[in-house]
Amino acid sequence: MEILEYAFMQRALVAGAVIGAVCAIIGVYVVLKGLSFIGAGIAHASFGGVALGFLLGVNPVLSAIGFCLATAWGIGLVARKGQLKEDTAIGIFFASTMALGILFIGLMHGYNVDLFGYLFGSILAVTREDLWITLGLGAGILLVVALFFKELLFVTFDPEMAQVTGVPAGKIYFLLISLVALTVVVSIKVVGIVLVSALIVTPAAAAYQLTEDFRRMMALAVLIGVMSAISGLLLSYVLDTASGATIVLLATLIFFVSALASPRRRWARRRPRDPRPAPLRSVSSDNGIHDRRRQ
Amino acid sequence: MANQTVVQLDRVCVAYGDLLVLEDVSLEVSRGEFLAVIGPNGSGKTTLLKVVLGLVRPVRGEVRVFGRAPWQLHSERRRIGYCAQGASVDLIFPVRAGEVVLMGRYGRIGLARRPSGADRAAARRAMERVGVADLADRPIARLSGGQRQRVFLARALASDPELLLLDEPTTGVDVAATESLYELLRALHETGITVVVVSHDVGVVASYADGVACINRRLVAHGRPEEVLASDALEQMYGCEAMFLHHGRVPHIVVEKR
Repeated sequence: MEILEYAFMQRALVAGAVIGAVCAIIGVYVVLKGLSFIGAGIAHASFGGVALGFLLGVNPVLSAIGFCLATAWGIGLVARKGQLKEDTAIGIFFASTMALGILFIGLMHGYNVDLFGYLFGSILAVTREDLWITLGLGAGILLVVALFFKELLFVTFDPEMAQVTGVPAGKIYFLLISLVALTVVVSIKVVGIVLVSALIVTPAAAAYQLTEDFRRMMALAVLIGVMSAISGLLLSYVLDTASGATIVLLATLIFFVSALASPRRRWARRRPRDPRPAPLRSVSSDNGIHDRRRQ
Repeated sequence: MANQTVVQLDRVCVAYGDLLVLEDVSLEVSRGEFLAVIGPNGSGKTTLLKVVLGLVRPVRGEVRVFGRAPWQLHSERRRIGYCAQGASVDLIFPVRAGEVVLMGRYGRIGLARRPSGADRAAARRAMERVGVADLADRPIARLSGGQRQRVFLARALASDPELLLLDEPTTGVDVAATESLYELLRALHETGITVVVVSHDVGVVASYADGVACINRRLVAHGRPEEVLASDALEQMYGCEAMFLHHGRVPHIVVEKR
């Protein structure tokens, strides 16, 4: 295939594969812990970061890192202190950081043409520098996940119990939302600000339909994420469509196929029941009352 | 051992905002005791456990667990096993029972380190102890209510605790499984573990525990089950209407069992 000979396409494909894998892995935690809205909030916040980069003349991906991390921690702090519900905190940060971005763009003389690429993703947008940032950040995220694999699993499954047994649940939560922020930043060049959260959530959600094992869910999510990213990029070149939209729609298609093929309903029927109680003894007449009251 | 008191609460008050959930609760749990904490819904029973675990801080009063404030516990944490209410986690989370039990060891393994063979062996032993070793590879979504509670109990036991705290361990578990769960707790208690169980199953609990504490924001009564149940503590706690279910019955049950 001659398209693979183009340097921009090679960069886009390598970046796409890394992003597909990283998004899928972080997505597993996002889906299981119900952080989808935080992911979407942070993604929109990256718009402010990108605009700030343009304004200051630095690489927008780098300025977005700081901006997204700050937003993630802001949401986490407000939500943890219990002054506001998490989704309210996200709602506030999400809109205000976008507003800041719009303000920054207004301050610039002459409208920047590259902005559309950041919003919806572009295969032409991945520069050599971007590729190195993507590879570095992607490797960093994967390393942190590998190191804190058991803590991330425990805090996602049962944060209270994690804390009780001496796992620093609060710190791990902040680590997790920081990872979500970095994942968003890594992905915006290829999938775009508007669509990143879909690439985080969808492959993991599709994998969730297919397995009841945590590690298998992660492996399947990576497979689906990488497949969507690579085939989406190739397809977007052939059809001349926005790369982010093509990737996300492919992932969504895989999600629906997985949901239709999902054995989950069959599994639910296979859940065993406790053996029926023996005929009530003298002790149990009272329990019977309690039991009925509880139901 | 110089200190035979495992848990000590002295005039503990807990408030959520303006709402006082526990008021002046003073209570001691001695090593080797089997204490049942009973009380109506919203009486502060769960909060009491959370105070002992360091998850909730009292606004007034002193708490000591193994001689320390619960939020200052470090390695002592592993001496405590906790079994939260079953409904507190996502029950269709894609994770297998064996992994859930192993989580009980994560805290003591330490950050960024992998479970060793010894950790896996301890998790295995805990599962054998409560009779769920054959369920290790079963996803938790495919456990019955009773099996799930045993898996959570095994997780609490995986760190070889001296103090076992259980919050409504029989919620969503039917009568037969409830009894076998309490038999299991009795067996664990006989190996020397201090057990504190929060429940509203007044009748069942009273026949297994050797102490009963009645909580309704305040400590209404505390003593041996037959004393507490014979007193008017239950009536004070539940009010008159609900009492018709219990009154006159529960003490008889205790007598029959003994």
